[in-house]
Amino acid sequence: MAPRAVRLVIRDPDLHRSRLTSGFRLILAIPHFLWLAGWFSLAALVAIANWIATLITGSPSPMLHRFLAAYVRYAAHVVSYVTLAADPFPGFTGRAGSYPIDLEIEDPGRQNRWVTGFRLLLAVPAIILADLMMGFGTSASGGWGTQAGGLVATVALLSWFVIVARGEIPRGFRDALAYSIGYSAQVNGYAFLLTDRYPNSDPAVYEAANAYRSDPIRLTVDDDLRRSRLTTFFRGLLAIPHLVFATLWGLAVFFALIANWFVTLFRGRPADGLARFLTRYVRYTTHVWAYTLLIANPFPGFTGLPGSYPVDVEVEAPVQQNRWVTGFRILLAIPALLIQSALNTLAFVAGVFIWFYALARGSAPQGLRNLGVYALRYNAQTNGYLFLLTERYPYTGPSAGWQLSLEAPADLPA
Amino acid sequence: MWFFAASRLWSSSTVPDNLRLPQLDPHDYFSSSFLDRSAAYERFLRIDFVLSAVALLVVLGLYARHGARFTRESAAGRVGTGMLLGMLGFAFVWLSQLPFSVAGLWWERRHGISRQGYVESVVGSFVGLGGQFLFICAAIGIVMALAGVMRRRWWVAGVPIFVGLALLFAFVQPFLMTDLHSLRNAKVAADARALARKEGVPHVPVKVEKVRKQTTAPNAEAVGIGSSRRVILWDTLLDRRFDRREVRTIVAHELGHVQRNHVLKGIGWFALAILPTAFLIALATRRRGGMYRPEAVPVALFVLIAVQVATIPLQNIVSRHVEQEADWIALETTRDPAAARNAFRELAIASLNQPRPPAWAYALFETHPTIIQRIAIARAWEDRETGRSPG
Repeated sequence: MAPRAVRLVIRDPDLHRSRLTSGFRLILAIPHFLWLAGWFSLAALVAIANWIATLITGSPSPMLHRFLAAYVRYAAHVVSYVTLAADPFPGFTGRAGSYPIDLEIEDPGRQNRWVTGFRLLLAVPAIILADLMMGFGTSASGGWGTQAGGLVATVALLSWFVIVARGEIPRGFRDALAYSIGYSAQVNGYAFLLTDRYPNSDPAVYEAANAYRSDPIRLTVDDDLRRSRLTTFFRGLLAIPHLVFATLWGLAVFFALIANWFVTLFRGRPADGLARFLTRYVRYTTHVWAYTLLIANPFPGFTGLPGSYPVDVEVEAPVQQNRWVTGFRILLAIPALLIQSALNTLAFVAGVFIWFYALARGSAPQGLRNLGVYALRYNAQTNGYLFLLTERYPYTGPSAGWQLSLEAPADLPA
Repeated sequence: MWFFAASRLWSSSTVPDNLRLPQLDPHDYFSSSFLDRSAAYERFLRIDFVLSAVALLVVLGLYARHGARFTRESAAGRVGTGMLLGMLGFAFVWLSQLPFSVAGLWWERRHGISRQGYVESVVGSFVGLGGQFLFICAAIGIVMALAGVMRRRWWVAGVPIFVGLALLFAFVQPFLMTDLHSLRNAKVAADARALARKEGVPHVPVKVEKVRKQTTAPNAEAVGIGSSRRVILWDTLLDRRFDRREVRTIVAHELGHVQRNHVLKGIGWFALAILPTAFLIALATRRRGGMYRPEAVPVALFVLIAVQVATIPLQNIVSRHVEQEADWIALETTRDPAAARNAFRELAIASLNQPRPPAWAYALFETHPTIIQRIAIARAWEDRETGRSPG
């Protein structure tokens, strides 16, 4: 895989946040908003000059490249500050190495003139994805659309409550924010001609934002990225029987869930039979969504059997659970459900992009596939939490790690 | 037994035995320009249909031969894989029919019959394919589950199940229809109530379906069984091209279908047809391991569609038989042959229906008696009533 020209770096992994500055974060950021808006206006003009220069000479002008790189870096600093991904008040210059969440941007190199000529057009899918990730129109080029429920907007809002209460941001929240900011920065870099390498949405390649974890509910992926053009074209329709079946199965799950809640509340652990039934459902819906969103290729079975599908769910056997956490499970799951909704939107859009790509190439792009896997993993963990299969809260960060394309560290606990 | 049942079903729909239809000349009822125009219009659609049927059989034949290779696209068990192969078969059918349906639409738009846009039509049929996928999955699920238990004799239990499902579908179909509203024209509504009472089906409602945005062609149908029975008039019938007496005739015709339980009898014919078809499928799929194996599904699809295409003339004979009975009941109820003649004439003009098609087209395409036959039925009824000899 080619190295990325715009790389996310987390220079300070500290998760502590000042309650005071976090509480007033939006107000404190007002000078940065004004400065960013002014800078963006100038950067847009400079980008046009850079586009012409790159078209003529085949590589960006070093001076314009420096200016635009500083803007992209500064935008990442500001977004990190506003979304609580980082704590300190950022500087106004976008200087490299000046902020805990930072970007490393390569020096200007040669770029393909065709890719340069059609840059803005080519960037549209990435801009859409970045905007959906951000959720409030702060991504590429200062925002091309607005959407309230994006991953960053949702996680930032939830982070605010957590930080005000505990003075610390959860690692998963910070990493989800950092991943989205990193992707958005790549999109900015691509749109502003800092590089001609297409933004990569693969959560696994944002090493700085990845955690190596062993959760009780995990996803395994054994997919070769091949996609049948025929089944891809009809994918939405081919999934209909499964969606109908999942809905019918869901009715039974509703009653099983209520029964399981009572059992877990009184016994302290779920009933084995009910847990197996609910696990099957979690696994089955994961198979179905993997198929529907082109995250996997083969038509899934209707049984949710373990090991029966390339994108599969492993669920550990039920153990003793805290009765308080069980009693208030539905309320406690609300933040996870909000994040799940934001991730599902991303997965859906990724699925649409994969559809076009797979029809043309007969394969799925790894980055979009792995973004879908990230959403599916979170889905499975949220459903498992809601169905009382585990009391471990869903992990928000991109923990795709070794399950996808990164090698696990040697000292990783089993 | 089978022939006895078929003969009972056939004889349960009757027009008077000694009815002799007068020989009529279409030129007495239609202008030469209309006859030429309708002949040209229908000729194109017939050729389009024949070509589409050939393409359908070729595509399904190839699919029967090579379709088993798509099992590699499935991670499901035998039933799930069978469902996938069934859906892919329908997907190929859709793809193979697409050019012909677009050509047909182009022709209908050119003649002012259809108002559907091309994109709307293609997207609509694509979405409709989802419903077909559900249907084929259910059917294959049943057949393969039965084959799991009964192996080669699955069809013995399969036929009653499919007949039961057909009954269920016939019952619920009226409730699935959207864009229906009650008759807003008070006079037509009063006529419909009076006709329903006269035909002994007083509780059968008459509804109107909005199709004006899709087509200019008028139509009506009787749907449902038992308490779900109803008559549906397309709103293109009520756009003043047909006068009140003509609409009465058409409503009486549809109520005739209801009175004579034609939907139920249609399911009877379906039961008679599905029995040999299922047996034939069981026979044809033996080399692929029978319907127990998903690899047999493409062969089963080919046999099913081939039987359907091959028996079109027979299906049309049955259909024309019951339509003639409904025409007769309408005449007996309204006692207005002039209105019937005018209604049939207007139907032909509005739909560009060729009044007397060639014999081969009559056998292959005409689900109703030809327009000139229907006018002749009205004339024959009139002759019987007045005691005149036909001619």
